[in-house]
Amino acid sequence: MNPSNLSRRELLQALSAMSLSAALPLHAKQTTAEDNRILVVVELTGANDGLNTLVPYGNDHYYRLRPQLGIRPAKLRKIDDMHGFNPGMAGFERLYKNGQMAVIHGCGYDNPSYSHFTSAAYWHTGAPNSGEPYGWLGRLADAIDPQLTPNFLINIDERQSLAVRAARHVPVVFDDPQRFGRKGLYQSRPLLDHGADVASASSNASQQFLEQVAQSARQASVQVRQAWNDYKTPIDYGILSMDLPKVAAMVHAKLPARIYHTAYRHNAFDTHVHQAELHQRLLTYVSDGVAGFMQDMKRIGRDKDVTVMVYSEFGRRPAENTSLGTDHGTANHVYLIGQPVKGGHYGDPPDLGQLNADGNVTHTVDFRRVYATVMQQWMGADSASLLNGRFETLPVFG
Amino acid sequence: MIFSMTIALNHTWVKAFMGTVACLAVGMVCAASNPANDLSALSAKDWNADKARHLLERAGFGATPQEVAQFARMTPTQAVQTLVRYQRVPDQFVPFDDSGSHDDGLEPFASSRPAATDLAKATGKSLGVNVKPEGNRRVQQVADRYLYWLRASRLETHRLGYWWANRMLTTPRPFQEKLTLFWHGHFATSEEKVRDYRKLYAQNETLRKHANGNFRDLLIAVAKDPAMLAFLDAGVNVKGAPNENFAREIMELFTMGVGHYSENDIKEAARAFTGWNYDKLSFVLNPQHHDDSPKTVLGQTGRFDGVQVIDILLAQPATADFIAAKLYRYFVREDLSPDLNQALGQLLRRSRYDIAAFMETVLLSQDFYSPASMATRIKPPVELLVSTYKKMGLRSVPGIPDFNEQTDMLGQKLFYPPNVAGWAHGRSWITPGLLLARANVIYDTVFPPIDFVAPDRTPNGLYQIVPVADKLAQGLDVTTATQPEGKTMGEMSMSMQTDRDEDFNTRLASYHAWRKAIEKVKPIPRDTAQLDVSGLVRQASCHTTAQAVDHLLNRFLSVPVPDTVRQRLIDLLTQDLGTNDLKHADSYMEDALRNLLHVILSLPAYQLG
Repeated sequence: MNPSNLSRRELLQALSAMSLSAALPLHAKQTTAEDNRILVVVELTGANDGLNTLVPYGNDHYYRLRPQLGIRPAKLRKIDDMHGFNPGMAGFERLYKNGQMAVIHGCGYDNPSYSHFTSAAYWHTGAPNSGEPYGWLGRLADAIDPQLTPNFLINIDERQSLAVRAARHVPVVFDDPQRFGRKGLYQSRPLLDHGADVASASSNASQQFLEQVAQSARQASVQVRQAWNDYKTPIDYGILSMDLPKVAAMVHAKLPARIYHTAYRHNAFDTHVHQAELHQRLLTYVSDGVAGFMQDMKRIGRDKDVTVMVYSEFGRRPAENTSLGTDHGTANHVYLIGQPVKGGHYGDPPDLGQLNADGNVTHTVDFRRVYATVMQQWMGADSASLLNGRFETLPVFG
Repeated sequence: MIFSMTIALNHTWVKAFMGTVACLAVGMVCAASNPANDLSALSAKDWNADKARHLLERAGFGATPQEVAQFARMTPTQAVQTLVRYQRVPDQFVPFDDSGSHDDGLEPFASSRPAATDLAKATGKSLGVNVKPEGNRRVQQVADRYLYWLRASRLETHRLGYWWANRMLTTPRPFQEKLTLFWHGHFATSEEKVRDYRKLYAQNETLRKHANGNFRDLLIAVAKDPAMLAFLDAGVNVKGAPNENFAREIMELFTMGVGHYSENDIKEAARAFTGWNYDKLSFVLNPQHHDDSPKTVLGQTGRFDGVQVIDILLAQPATADFIAAKLYRYFVREDLSPDLNQALGQLLRRSRYDIAAFMETVLLSQDFYSPASMATRIKPPVELLVSTYKKMGLRSVPGIPDFNEQTDMLGQKLFYPPNVAGWAHGRSWITPGLLLARANVIYDTVFPPIDFVAPDRTPNGLYQIVPVADKLAQGLDVTTATQPEGKTMGEMSMSMQTDRDEDFNTRLASYHAWRKAIEKVKPIPRDTAQLDVSGLVRQASCHTTAQAVDHLLNRFLSVPVPDTVRQRLIDLLTQDLGTNDLKHADSYMEDALRNLLHVILSLPAYQLG
């Protein structure tokens, strides 16, 4: 047994019993403001209908294209004389009016793919039409944390998102914190949990790597379960919170993670039929979940350190279909949310009067400009090398 | 005869080459003490069971102790040739048991559901189904049929995954399946987009047919393969409006790799592939869509067709370097020095892209058996599971837990590579959650869940298929039955109180599609692992718990475990059995041995092969 492991475990146990913030500087390196900054990325899988999320009610084309699905101005949560949020989105309306939400319009890319699978991979890698093997968040982690801090990059999902796949970092990927652990019978627990994967002192680099990950799994799974068990919040996140309370628990427990990726799962936003009420309900969940999370961050004093980004692999076709739903589209909004964000509109809304041959809008902002903005202005990384080219940033962070 | 000539030439050449370039010019030490990077052949006197086992791990899906012993008795050359020149081994060909869920009326399959229903509305017929002349939901059957095929193809692809995994497990030609799996990742094509298991099955057989043959033949066959043509949008690559998707991927992913061509080369090459398409399951060239005017690709100009462009790509040194490196990284190890990469590229060029000759040299090389290579590879999920079953002595892939779900969870589902680049290998297979999940898969194999639900018979939560079916059975009208969940009747607006007049209802179609698909597509057999760990230790003549532990460690692990761990494993088994005497415990030792096996296969080192 490695004595430094023991003392680390003891330290952690001690830490969980007393004030974490007082104890942390003991082993924290020199920190800068940027070192505390956290990015939480939320993916709305299935392609959210942006036009019925933030409705351009001042645009006649919208009502022409959506005679049945168009939401009447009187029902909208108006934020100015052009746009209003879906009636279910009280949380987003409040965040916007408090100046804590940047709406980036028309985000997309050239030669758009209408496949969930392909387009999601483009967004995950930040590299449309390429064979890029690593995710944009994975590359970001490798760039800003060359020392490979354990538990730096956390992905809460059933399986690892391509977005966090990294050349060097080991993303902590789990779904249910309670089940982020080993199966194994009682009599084997001492071997499984503590003893069996002791370092073999092997010179085999792959074996060393596996032992490190095993150790990190053991530590992460203990820390994650501990963080989750220790976390209680009075905040209401609504009905389906996209794992944001789990993120809050990790932030609350001061895990070193600076990058999180979560998702509203299972292509939920793929609203091809009878979408109006279903979509409103989905949006209510998103809006309540994100607003609850921001409130929770304020409660634990981390609201200055956290930015949330909400995106979808593409938007939906402006014209409604015959099943009172919408089909696959192209450009969409990205939302950047948080106290550090300079709220307002960014980028031009796509022209609903000039649709392409497929009946879709043409993007006005390359989505990699949003990535560049987040990487550069929020996380302090050089975006040009991470995105294989220079993308102009947006003045979202001042 | 041709084979042996090629081998002789190659070996003579390799020795000469290694002598001059790799050792002298690059300054590497080629002494036996440092065999890494040395491509010359391992001498017969250095051959042993460890090396035979390593070869069977890498060139196949692992082996039982009996197979290892059999290969250890050969010379290294015999052992490698037995695997690599597998045409000498009779193929126990078991074709895929097709459920027959497809019929000609589905051709040509619509590109989307709106395309299918729009065509029906415009012409009165789509996907072989006539539109109802009167009444509500006149194109419902077209929507049903569109979604039926998506569902049936997906379910059948899962059966195909089982068929292939069983083939990997039982084949007398493991290297053929291993190479086929490699090419599946190289020419990554997903059912997600192709949406036709028949094309994927045909592609799988094409990859298998050419697996150890000539790379040119393979590349041309893949370029004309309907699954690949569908996957990379060949249908829209026509004269006057070329689509660059295939031309880009063939340069970036299939031959040279990034950095060896310009955007203009892609544009020009795309024109050479215009008119390449498929009809049903066959390649077709539509001359009226083919652009026959001159193109300039990588400095050469001519009225090139696709095959001529492929030959230009194959003539680029970068292509041999790229393919050689990819094969090497998959079969030997991830880190590859520029010098060794150059030597391997030369080797592949000199063999004129003969994969068998190239792989024979690689698998015989001292480098392959050097400490830098042995037991350093992280097994990809499919190989992890198949080799586990093999070493367990299973004769078929267990139906519980579900093979496709388990491999998908671990990141590698057959016929569903994540993107055009295929699977990223090596360390990217491992995350903390996934390392635990790999061990949990073993747990579910030795102690199968008793609440297993077959995913090919029971719809998951998507599309509310089960609630819709239930509500229809209760006599609700379609509009009410297909209302999204969570809505009470009281919330419904006035307009929703009667059955809505509409062309079709997609939720209803999802339910119909599922019902029709499981009627057509055969179920996956759901037997649990027919595991007999007691039999394994009996067969190995183990009399004590220590012997049982040593046997299982040796049988399953490629690296030794520390003595302390070994002792704790012995203690675990002895305590579980209440004795260290296996003869006494023979009648009740199976569960304790399975538990031991789970612990052993949970060791991080078990991921190595």
